[in-house]
Amino acid sequence: MEPLTLRLRSSPARSVDLSALTPERLDGMGTAQIGALPLRDGLCVADLFEIGAGDTRHLVIRNGSDRLTHIGAGMRSGTIGVEGDCGAYAGLDLDGGHLNVTGNAGSFAGCGMKAGMIRIGGNAGDFCGGALDGNRQGMRGGIIAIHGHAGDRAGERMRRGLLLIGGNAGAYCGANMLAGTIFVAGKAGTMPGFSLKRGTLLLARMPENLPATFQDSGEHSLLFLTLLEKQLQRDRGSFARFLPLNQKVRRYCGDLAWGGTGEILIFC
Amino acid sequence: MILNGVVIDDTFAEAFGMRATRILITALNLKWAWHAARAVTGFATSVIGCGCEAGIERELSAEETPDGRPGLSVLLFAVSGKELAKQVEQRVGQCVLTAPGSAVFAGLDGEAVNLGRNLRFFGDGYQMSKVIGGKRYWRIPVMDGEFLCEETTGMIKAVGGGNFLVLARGQSEALAACEAAVEAMSKLRGVIMPFPGGVVRSGSKVGSKYKALPASTNDAFCPTLRGAVKSELSPDVGAVLEIVIDGLMEIDVRNAMRAGIDAVCKIGAAGGILRVSAGNYGGKLGQYHIELHDVMLWNR
Repeated sequence: MEPLTLRLRSSPARSVDLSALTPERLDGMGTAQIGALPLRDGLCVADLFEIGAGDTRHLVIRNGSDRLTHIGAGMRSGTIGVEGDCGAYAGLDLDGGHLNVTGNAGSFAGCGMKAGMIRIGGNAGDFCGGALDGNRQGMRGGIIAIHGHAGDRAGERMRRGLLLIGGNAGAYCGANMLAGTIFVAGKAGTMPGFSLKRGTLLLARMPENLPATFQDSGEHSLLFLTLLEKQLQRDRGSFARFLPLNQKVRRYCGDLAWGGTGEILIFC
Repeated sequence: MILNGVVIDDTFAEAFGMRATRILITALNLKWAWHAARAVTGFATSVIGCGCEAGIERELSAEETPDGRPGLSVLLFAVSGKELAKQVEQRVGQCVLTAPGSAVFAGLDGEAVNLGRNLRFFGDGYQMSKVIGGKRYWRIPVMDGEFLCEETTGMIKAVGGGNFLVLARGQSEALAACEAAVEAMSKLRGVIMPFPGGVVRSGSKVGSKYKALPASTNDAFCPTLRGAVKSELSPDVGAVLEIVIDGLMEIDVRNAMRAGIDAVCKIGAAGGILRVSAGNYGGKLGQYHIELHDVMLWNR
């Protein structure tokens, strides 16, 4: 069955929260019901989108815009595809399913996500996979795969899961990270792993500068990287951008100001 | 039933319900995987005195293991889930964690049994957890790098104590036949023969004249006691050896018994093999009664 399609008529003047449009929230609704769903400022879905009937478990948003925020927020199953860009909070608190953005995503993508997968074909804004203000933990599970660059503080306070960045990462990547794994295939900005408590920052290249509270533990071949690579190879279509992973890495343990039980691994 | 001059007794092997798990041990090369696997399956011939029965199921190629290194598949059986969990943890902790370059992974899905969940504390706070593909692994720092182990393995209901007895003119004939049987059975998956070389010469009966002993020698099959006890042996039988089989499923045990008895019968009466029988306790103890004739007639 064809997916349900929402073609944006024109980019809205102000940001519009689309958290109401997830497969489980649309389950059982007809096109008319979906079109009547209120969004903001008295607008409803039909005012902004041309709706093409289809399977509500699979949603495609055409003509994406950075004004469309909270796409897939709280989604638990199904798929949402965004053709083009999307705004902030994409995949916020995602708890399952698959969100695929072909263009760029705004800030806070995948913040607090617990499960599922987010694929961003372009760049992601700041705080991707991080935590919203006031939340103690960022991403808690699932996979975020950014094929372009990531903004500052990617994976901040991340608790679990896998954050893949195909391009460069901004400053303070993995800051205050609690656990989980971040891989940066490009170059990481300044102060990666700042206040890292546990978890792994895997970097393909030496960053501009490491925090002084990381200590060199030498070169090692780490077996878990083989498992990680094998997991990515199982879905080569999604993860070819991030392969292969070096098994031989230089390990920096830290942040020693926080016990030193985390690590930054840099490909040899 | 007579196959190639070998009489197959109209009797049954009495097998028991057990709990089993499979673990996969990998290392830098097969040599060191064997060292670890031999150690972890050491002193694991019988639940009567060892806590569990364990054996090496087969070698694994690098393509078959989670970490892309050569390894071995090991099966462990115990009488209860609690005992199995205890044995797995102790044995992996003392025999795999200690082996250079080793890693250990779950080889079965099922009720979770701790594999690395408690072993991680050996890392003294420096252990790291990684959830990869929905499974949790522990990275425990050790002197040659890291010991990688999966957090749990799976436990399933299994069958232990499948068996058959090879009655021959002499010890060497019985042993040659059992070696051939074990070689044939070792090619099958899902089974182990936990005794040394897969063969046991001290088959037991339940109970003893000594109150402290739960089991004692199977006098009915001891050739030197012929005349002194109610013997099962005809005058021409000089030696009896037993092969005990533990399997993940009853069908695995049956298939292994069939392969083993086939190999024994291939040697036949010309090779000094007189009879094949099976050990049972009158059918009162074990929940599985595996009739030798059923096994040999099935799909023939």
